Amino acid sequence: MSLPIGEQLQRISAKLRAEIGPAVTDEYTRTQTFMASVILERISKQIVLGSDHLKVEQQEVAMLHEQLARILVDVPDVIVHARLAAEESLEVAALGALICELYAWGADEKLVEDALSLIRPVLRADIDRRMEIAR
Amino acid sequence: MSAALEIEAMMASYVRERLEIDDIVTIEDVTRIAVGWSHETWLFDAVWPSTEGEHRRGMCLRRDPGNALLRQTSDLGEQFRVLRCLESTDVPAPKAYWYEPDPDVLGAPALVMEKVSGECPSPWRKTGREYYSAAADRGVLPLSFTDALAAIHNVDWREAGLDFLGVPDAGNSFARSEITKWRGLIDESGHSGHPVLDDLTGWLEAHAPSTDRLTLVHGAYRTGNVLISHDQVSAVLDWELQVIGDPMYDVAYMLTELNREGTNLLSNVVPRELFYERYQSMTGIEIDDEICRYYQLLYAMRSAAFWMSAAGLYADGSNTDLRLARTEWSVTVALDRAAQELGY
Repeated sequence: MSLPIGEQLQRISAKLRAEIGPAVTDEYTRTQTFMASVILERISKQIVLGSDHLKVEQQEVAMLHEQLARILVDVPDVIVHARLAAEESLEVAALGALICELYAWGADEKLVEDALSLIRPVLRADIDRRMEIAR
Repeated sequence: MSAALEIEAMMASYVRERLEIDDIVTIEDVTRIAVGWSHETWLFDAVWPSTEGEHRRGMCLRRDPGNALLRQTSDLGEQFRVLRCLESTDVPAPKAYWYEPDPDVLGAPALVMEKVSGECPSPWRKTGREYYSAAADRGVLPLSFTDALAAIHNVDWREAGLDFLGVPDAGNSFARSEITKWRGLIDESGHSGHPVLDDLTGWLEAHAPSTDRLTLVHGAYRTGNVLISHDQVSAVLDWELQVIGDPMYDVAYMLTELNREGTNLLSNVVPRELFYERYQSMTGIEIDDEICRYYQLLYAMRSAAFWMSAAGLYADGSNTDLRLARTEWSVTVALDRAAQELGY
């Protein structure tokens, strides 16, 4: 029987925290041991949750682009291109360049605000997923 | 040779030379504090014979290992100059003795300053919070803590020679220069960033407030960055982020929830109403809540920049401390905070 890697890391993390760390007398090294435990736990969560998170992220970003495509029509080419580039990757991270272009344009405040109000819930959901791992 | 013995040997020779002492100087009670994150900090006593018996002078050595957090914004030479300038003011701060830029002399660029009496409980620990809560009940420290901030903002910074820090132009250039500084730290970190940060930066640039009054700004004025003796602030420490700028930048840091845990006391020690009344009366500066709110968003960006920089130090191999590796996930917490500050 072999353990899935996420479970393996979780067990190593628990052992470092509960058994190995407390046995270390040097303060700096003990702190490093506990940090190693925390880091392994986070990586373990990332491995376990990662693929589900990615699927949800791609669905949300795809839906967002359908909405953005409807409102970002009468805008400078640079914004259209930034949106199309972001749509290609379907990753939340790719929205950064579009956000920067929206702020840089800023000529139609209402339209920028409307676009941001569509984008922000997607960013919020992404941060919530990341917080599941970071907590 | 242990690190403490190395410090003893180096400092004995250095102090003897700088003070032009003919007799032997001994270094006693060497203690290292603040391990790992920022500059290395050592406390010790230098002792040498005199006609009356012996001289004993408490000293603090800070060394720049070159791979510490905020190394880009925190130069020991600048800290030395700031501390020297503050000696002629009412700001409680350690006396600066020497700045040694040559890494061959003390093992790294170093600043030697006075060891000031006092304690500095961590506000992030339960024992620290209990300490500040008890001090708040006694009522002296809240006044002293507020007065020390007022003293910083009341400094005649031109007269004190602090204009070498750079003086922002009129208008919103102070806020914009801070955004540029933290954007620079983020870019240098090599971190991939996140769209929340782009949103926050765009918002901050679009809403940068004008500043019509410039003061010395500490940049991180909170409990944990001051020494306390008998319920009085005996020294303001951590002169790493100071600028000439909008005093509301410091006030916003006092008001932020980031610097208090489980209490309404500002920075864990000052009742809000007392702070407003005392600070305004000591400085003649009216607290502008709206501008403070803006700076709290700027602090969200600064927090993200700190953590990205820390994670970057580990990622590029220049620092192997696992506490820095862990900050990769602190970035997420800072982004969560930033999104909340923006209302989502």
